[in-house]
Amino acid sequence: MIPTRRWLPTTILVGLVAGYALVHLQRAVDRYLEGYRTEVEMLYLPSGEWVKRLSLGYRGLAACLYWTRAVQHYGRENLGKRQYKLLYQLLDITTTLDPELTLAYRFGAIFLAEPQPMGPGRPHEAIALLRKGLKQNPDQWRLWYDIGFVYYRALKDYQRASDAFLEGSKNPNSMYWMQVMAAKIAAEGGNRERARFLWRKLLESTDDPTIQANAVRYLQGLQVDDEVEILEALVKRFREQTGRQARSFVELLAAGLLRALPHDPLGYPYRLTAEGQVLLHRDSAIITSTKGRVR
Amino acid sequence: MQRVGAIALNTFREAVRDRVLYNLILFALVLIGTAILFGEISIGVQQLILINLGLTAITFFGLAIAIFIGIGLVYKEMDKRTLYALLAKPVRRYEFILGKFCGLALTLLVNTLLMAVGFFLALYYVKRSFEADDTSLLVAIYFIFWQLLLATALALLFSTFSSPALSAALTLSLFIIGSFAGDMRGLADVVKTPWLGLVTSAVYYAVPNFSNFNVITSVAHGHAVPGVLILHNTVYGALYTGLVLAASMLVFQNRDLK
Repeated sequence: MIPTRRWLPTTILVGLVAGYALVHLQRAVDRYLEGYRTEVEMLYLPSGEWVKRLSLGYRGLAACLYWTRAVQHYGRENLGKRQYKLLYQLLDITTTLDPELTLAYRFGAIFLAEPQPMGPGRPHEAIALLRKGLKQNPDQWRLWYDIGFVYYRALKDYQRASDAFLEGSKNPNSMYWMQVMAAKIAAEGGNRERARFLWRKLLESTDDPTIQANAVRYLQGLQVDDEVEILEALVKRFREQTGRQARSFVELLAAGLLRALPHDPLGYPYRLTAEGQVLLHRDSAIITSTKGRVR
Repeated sequence: MQRVGAIALNTFREAVRDRVLYNLILFALVLIGTAILFGEISIGVQQLILINLGLTAITFFGLAIAIFIGIGLVYKEMDKRTLYALLAKPVRRYEFILGKFCGLALTLLVNTLLMAVGFFLALYYVKRSFEADDTSLLVAIYFIFWQLLLATALALLFSTFSSPALSAALTLSLFIIGSFAGDMRGLADVVKTPWLGLVTSAVYYAVPNFSNFNVITSVAHGHAVPGVLILHNTVYGALYTGLVLAASMLVFQNRDLK
């Protein structure tokens, strides 16, 4: 038997040298493979349908694994190259494997729509993913909310955003604020008629005093939008007729352009700035989408 | 029946003495526990991962036990020559097969229950409560047990006429084919050649349809398993397992043991 004092130092030395070499070798291999490690994996399994078959029916587990990969991919890219090449594919495979995995559509869309440089800035892919989700889960009205949100925030397409919120609000299980969002965004996009229609509909359909008060407030805001637009047109006409800026609404009254001094729906008088801009009174609590605000 | 019971009990005792069995159960429990950690590196799917991974682990480790113990049930007895001593007693060959099957079924039942307890403990850790929906998880485990019984019967059948390695390969192949059964039916619908469609349909109905018993993805989303499916799967499992066992008895009955 070899005494411990003879074999132990040699073993420790060999272990340390071999361990050091192995770590360095692994790092060299990682550096070499880093660029295309995941891509190579994806090339083998580019389709969710294939992965579904290969999962032997255990597609729920495979979906969870792919969802985790999507999350990891997003996180890694977010800290690194920010190319997100595989993100949509990973989400597509995840949702093909488990079409009921609603959070993969919802969070996936948030990831995809996140503007550059923080995210991939691919709102159209986000919408495609959410529409896929709706095809599989038509009762998930929150997916309509997400579509509306992507149109609103990432694409600034207020009309489509409003359409999406309105579509989602048709689901009997949806929250009342889907209709509110549809109306608010329609107003923000300049479609006042649609906004007015939706707010009135909401006002008629609810018994909740808070929602009613809110609807009345927004309807008043829309009225202000209209009135401010008319008043500013009159101010412009006064300038064209006299060649100077009106100093107050009294001058418009004297010129026969107004029949009375204008007041907002709460009874506060409108203000006229030196530049010919019509604003709400400072004490007026009316909220408007675009007009009458102090800018 | 008494003789079948005695063989079953001995088979159970022999199986529980096997260290591999404990290693497999331990590994399954560790895997179920890992699912909790796995959920931490994802978003919002901790419970889904736990259910999917937990039930899949119960299936695959159960399957490993069913196959690796099942294939040796007859072979070991012949190899050690203990079978001859046994058959010299007033024990019929079919009783031997039935006893072996019942013994392994009992082993699998205990193992599945142990793994199920581990699974529900992990689930309780994640959810902090149980809900009425969770009963569908018990149904999923019940279906897994039927899969294991079917696999055991197949392993036993193959072990009556082939080597352990070949028996394992054949049982595993049938499990994989049976898990693809749904796709086979889809193939029968899309093939244009009528005879090929017939062949595919015939294969679909002939192979043990393991995919019938896989409701893991559905129950993970909290869907209830319809009572009629439980009934159909129970009858299907009992009938198919019974047929395979009958075939095993027939083969073993006619086998020349000299």
